[in-house]
Amino acid sequence: MKRSVVQSFWLALSGFGLLLVIGLPFWWVITGSIKLPREIIGRVPTMIPQSFTLQHFQKLLQASDFLVYLINSVLVSVASAIIVVVLAVPAAYAFFRMRFPGRNGLYRAILLAYAFPSIVILIPLYGMFSALGLIDSPLALIIVNVALALPFSIWMMRSFLSNVPREIEEAAVVDGAPPAVILVRIMIPLITPGIASVGIFAFISAWTEYLFASVLIVSDARRTIPVGFAGIIGQYQIDWGLLLAGATAAILPVVLLFAFVGRWFVAGLTEGAVK
Amino acid sequence: MSGLSLHAVRKRFGDTEVVGGVDLDIRDGEFVVFVGPSGCGKSTLLRLIAGLETTSSGQIHIDGRDVTGEDPVKRGIAMVFQTYALYPHMTVATNIGFPLEMGKRPKEEIDRKVAEIARTLHLEPYLQRKPRELSGGQRQRVAIGRAIVRQPGVFLFDEPLSNLDAELRIQMRLEIARLHQQLKTTMIYVTHDQVEAMTLASRIVVLRGGKIEQTGAPIELYENPDNSFVAGFIGSPKMNFLSAEVVGRTGSNEVVVSALQAGLRDLTVTPRGPAPAPGTPVTLGIRPEHFLPSPDQSAVGGTVSVIERLGGVSYVYVQLPDGSVVTVERREHEHIEPGQVHRFAVNPARVFLFDNAGFRV
Repeated sequence: MKRSVVQSFWLALSGFGLLLVIGLPFWWVITGSIKLPREIIGRVPTMIPQSFTLQHFQKLLQASDFLVYLINSVLVSVASAIIVVVLAVPAAYAFFRMRFPGRNGLYRAILLAYAFPSIVILIPLYGMFSALGLIDSPLALIIVNVALALPFSIWMMRSFLSNVPREIEEAAVVDGAPPAVILVRIMIPLITPGIASVGIFAFISAWTEYLFASVLIVSDARRTIPVGFAGIIGQYQIDWGLLLAGATAAILPVVLLFAFVGRWFVAGLTEGAVK
Repeated sequence: MSGLSLHAVRKRFGDTEVVGGVDLDIRDGEFVVFVGPSGCGKSTLLRLIAGLETTSSGQIHIDGRDVTGEDPVKRGIAMVFQTYALYPHMTVATNIGFPLEMGKRPKEEIDRKVAEIARTLHLEPYLQRKPRELSGGQRQRVAIGRAIVRQPGVFLFDEPLSNLDAELRIQMRLEIARLHQQLKTTMIYVTHDQVEAMTLASRIVVLRGGKIEQTGAPIELYENPDNSFVAGFIGSPKMNFLSAEVVGRTGSNEVVVSALQAGLRDLTVTPRGPAPAPGTPVTLGIRPEHFLPSPDQSAVGGTVSVIERLGGVSYVYVQLPDGSVVTVERREHEHIEPGQVHRFAVNPARVFLFDNAGFRV
C-alpha cells in the first residue's frame, strides 16, 4: 500500500505525539537527575537542564543502600523471570496441544486468578510464608512474583505457540519425535520471541512489585528497589534529586535487558517452513 | 514396500461425517491418487492412513498388519505435506536427517544417507542452508527427501504441488513420477487437480462426500465412467451434459436419443446396460474432443461465445438454441470468430448416457 503525502504527514504527527507522551516522563526523570537541587525545585520548570551535577548519583551510591536494593531486585527479578519461562512453556504447550479432561475449564480459570485484588491474598499469604519460615526471605518474593506472573504468561505463550503451523508439528510426529522432543527441538526454537516477551513481562512485574515486597521483607538489607526507595521519601521532605537519580538508575537494568533480548524479536522465524 | 487396505473406514468430526465407510485395497508398489473436489474427504482419508487422525470406526491394515490404533511412526509411512512443513530453524541436512535421528541411527549412517538423497534430489549445494534460503521447488524437494530417507513402506503426498507455480508444478510432477519408477514404493497422492491425477496415477480413486465414487486406471475412468460425477471430474475441459430423451430402440440393444432443445436429433447410442424404454429422460455426456466438424448446414449449431486457442487445439464455447453452452474441441485452424454460427456433429460411439440420478445407463 502506498501512502499519500497527507497520510504520511498525519502518521508522522501522531507518531511524534505518541513519542512525546511516552518519552516525556523519562526525559523529565533523567534530566532531573543531573540538575542542581535549586533548578529541580525552581518555580519555572526547565525542559533543558541549565545546570549539571552528578551529586545525586554520588549520594545514591555512597550515602544510600541503593546498591543493596539493586542487587536484591536483580536477584528476585531474574530468578522470577527464569522460573516463569521454565514453567510457562510446558504449561502452555500442554494447554495448547494435549487433550485432557477439563482442559478448557482450567484454561479459563487461569485468568480468574487475576480477578482477586492482590491485597486480598496478602494476609493469608503472610500467614503461610510465616509458617514456612520464609518471611524476610527473597525466596518468598520469588514465589509470589512467579505465582502472579505465571497465569498471564501461559496465555501469552499459548498465542505464540498457536502461530507455529500445525503441519510442522505433524511432520515431527510422522518423523517419530515424541512430545518432549517436539517441544524442545521444534517448538521452543520457533517461539523464542514469545519466550523473550514472557521473560521481559515476568522480569518487569517482579522489578516493579511493591505491595508484597513491602510486607514480606522486613530487614533493610533485603529490600528491593521499589520498597527501599520508598524510604527515601521522608515524612516531611523529599530529596528530589536523589529520588530522580535512583529512578534513573532503576530504569537502567530494564533498558539493558531489552537491548540484550531485543535481538530475539526477529520476524519471520518460521519463514520457509510452509510457503 | 507395503500394500495397504482400508475396511469400512469412517471419520466423524462432531456430527459431520467426513469419511463415510471407505473400503479400498492398494497393492504393493501402486501409485494411487485420491482425487475429488474440496471437502470430499480425500485429505482426511490420507491423514487417517498416516495416523494423524483417529478413525471413528473401521480398520486400516498396512503390509498385512492392523495399524488402526498405532502411532504414525510405527506405521512405516512417510508424508509430504502441502505446505512442505520443513523445520525452519534447521539446515537442509538436519531436516532430511531428522527422521533417522529420531530413529536413533548412528551419525555416520545419517550423514551417508543424507548425502545420498541430496545427490538424487539435486540438493547437494544447499545442504547447509535454511529452508527460507531456498526456492519453492527446492523446499518441496527437501520435504520429499525427508520422506524418502527412512525408506518407508508407503509414501503419502497431501497436495504437494499446489503451492508451486505452473511451470514448477509440471517439473515436480515429472520428478515424482520418476521417483516412483525408481523406488517402486507404494504411493498415495491426494490432489484436486485431475491432470495430476491422470498423469501420475496407476489407479485413481474418485471421492465425493466422503465416499468412493469410482476407482480405476486413469484411462478406464476417462473411457468408462460409472456416473456423471466421475465423467465430469475426469477430463479437461469438462464433459458436456445435455438433457435428452430416449425416442426409440433398435434391435441390437441400441437406443435412439434426441436432445430436442439443444437441437440434437436421432443419435443412435449403445447403453452400458439394458436399453431404457422410449420416453425415459436421460442426460447425454459428450466430451469436447468427441464433437466432429460438420459442413452440413442442417447439423447442430449455435453461436460462438468464446474461443480459447491453445495452439495445437482450440476450445470453442458454443451457445445452443436452448441457452446451454457446450465446449467443442477443434484441431484444425478454422477461421472461427465469436458471434459466428458454428455447426458440428456428434460421434455417437463416444456418447455416454446417464439417468436422472446421474448413474450410467
